[in-house]
Amino acid sequence: MKIEFWGQEFTVNMVIGCIGGFLIAIMSSMFGFGGGPFMVPLMTVALRLPMYLVVGSSLLAIFFNTSISTMRHYQFGNFDLYFFLAMFPAAILGGYIAPQIAKRVSPLVVKRVACVGLVLLALNLLGAY
Amino acid sequence: MDTRKGVVLWLVAAMMVLLGGTGATAAAEREGQPSDQSAPAMAAPTITIDKTVINNGGTIKVSGRAPAGKPVFLEVWAVDHAVRASRFDSELDKETNKRPYIFYITEGMPAYYKIFAPKEMQAKIDAEKKLKRKWSYSNVLKEMGAGDAFNVPAKSKIDHFQSSLMASIIGSRGDLLPGMDEKENRQRAMQLTKARFGSIDKVFGADIDLKPDGSFTADIKIREGLSPGKYNIVVVVDKKTKSEAVSFENQIAFPLVYLDNAGTSLNIFYPFVLSLCVAIFGVLMGAGGGFIMNPLLLALFPALPHTIVAGTVTPTVLFSQGSGIYNYSKIKFINWKLGCGIGVAMLLGGFIGPKLTEMITLDQFKFAFGWILLVLAVLMLWQTTPGYLAKNKKEQAILKEFKKRAEEAAKGA
Repeated sequence: MKIEFWGQEFTVNMVIGCIGGFLIAIMSSMFGFGGGPFMVPLMTVALRLPMYLVVGSSLLAIFFNTSISTMRHYQFGNFDLYFFLAMFPAAILGGYIAPQIAKRVSPLVVKRVACVGLVLLALNLLGAY
Repeated sequence: MDTRKGVVLWLVAAMMVLLGGTGATAAAEREGQPSDQSAPAMAAPTITIDKTVINNGGTIKVSGRAPAGKPVFLEVWAVDHAVRASRFDSELDKETNKRPYIFYITEGMPAYYKIFAPKEMQAKIDAEKKLKRKWSYSNVLKEMGAGDAFNVPAKSKIDHFQSSLMASIIGSRGDLLPGMDEKENRQRAMQLTKARFGSIDKVFGADIDLKPDGSFTADIKIREGLSPGKYNIVVVVDKKTKSEAVSFENQIAFPLVYLDNAGTSLNIFYPFVLSLCVAIFGVLMGAGGGFIMNPLLLALFPALPHTIVAGTVTPTVLFSQGSGIYNYSKIKFINWKLGCGIGVAMLLGGFIGPKLTEMITLDQFKFAFGWILLVLAVLMLWQTTPGYLAKNKKEQAILKEFKKRAEEAAKGA
């Protein structure tokens, strides 16, 4: 499929894109996260698209996934209102505070901290400690 | 006493005969019951508790008297709140050598349920604990001879569905199978009790101090973070020898809030603070943060079911994505064709995923999620390697350049 973005034309292999997107969607909706951290590498590495095209479009793609999985989780009774009301305002507030801090910390450090955090969490889930 | 009862019953039966033929059979059925009850006449056990109100858990001293020489069990459950319990049976059936793939679900599991046994039975609980995750609820009941104490969940209505690969693909639970008889319902309820509460210590406790003369005392500890409202305690010796239910009230106050679907009470500020930290961290990292929030919640609040965690974090993530899309679309920085194209494929995946969450157990959830997080950690690490950074620097510069152009174009329009 050919697409045009800001005056440049790209060829996208939609078969890879759709299969990858489908698998990522199953996984992320099953475990309840957005899927962005997997979607961006898929589109940049597997589809060879430039970052400036990927940032917005991947967000749009995972938005489809998150909205339908929200509906399905709600349908299966997996949604808890009070719990949601406790987390939702905090998430919004975080979105306002974060840009203030963002200027002062290097994204590289944040990513490395996240790396360690993820490994610790993973080992916890796997019952290693 | 018995003869008088018999006379009265005979009179009732006679009246029924007079009223009609169908009545007579009903009376005959009724006649069977009293003789049943009067057979081994054992005095009903007595029970007293030291307080009727606790605040977010506490210890209740129970004392009473039961017929001497028999084991005594206490069945304790939350009356006011029920939760959902579900289990997907895909274990190989030894007799037929087939996997049943049946999905069991009930909405009527008490939010708290525990059977207390005499202290001497601790060894039996410990023996079952050695099986780790494979412990069997029905086996513990059998070993302790506590089968008669298992009453409340046995009566909850259980639906079961025949699942198939196709049904999973289209994201349905499968075909609803006809209702189960009492015995099977009871059997399945035991499995669901395990599926719901998980660890053996949550559903069994050997805390009763039983004297040879039949008097007993027990300190019943009610954990923090349980459902509020009325709880019942019944003393059970055997099928026919039970006490009346005594009840106490578990009170919780703000900021503790009972989560109805999750079946636990939680200080509502904890998820708030946690969510705030994760949201900030997520934005700094350039990702939604859902994949950090979920495992953190699971690790910090083991009482929360994984389905609720996944189902409630998802809508939270949805809004941050929505605002992101709005901001990008203002400066026309989204390719709608590409986004919608892959989005349709993701729509299908997102339809199936939540179904699978429901079908797997907490342990399977943790196992799979653990590996996903490890993969993610490797991805992140790769993004901090020098080679990637050099390439990324160029990319980021182009990204900034295009964004600037887009913003100017949006302003100009």
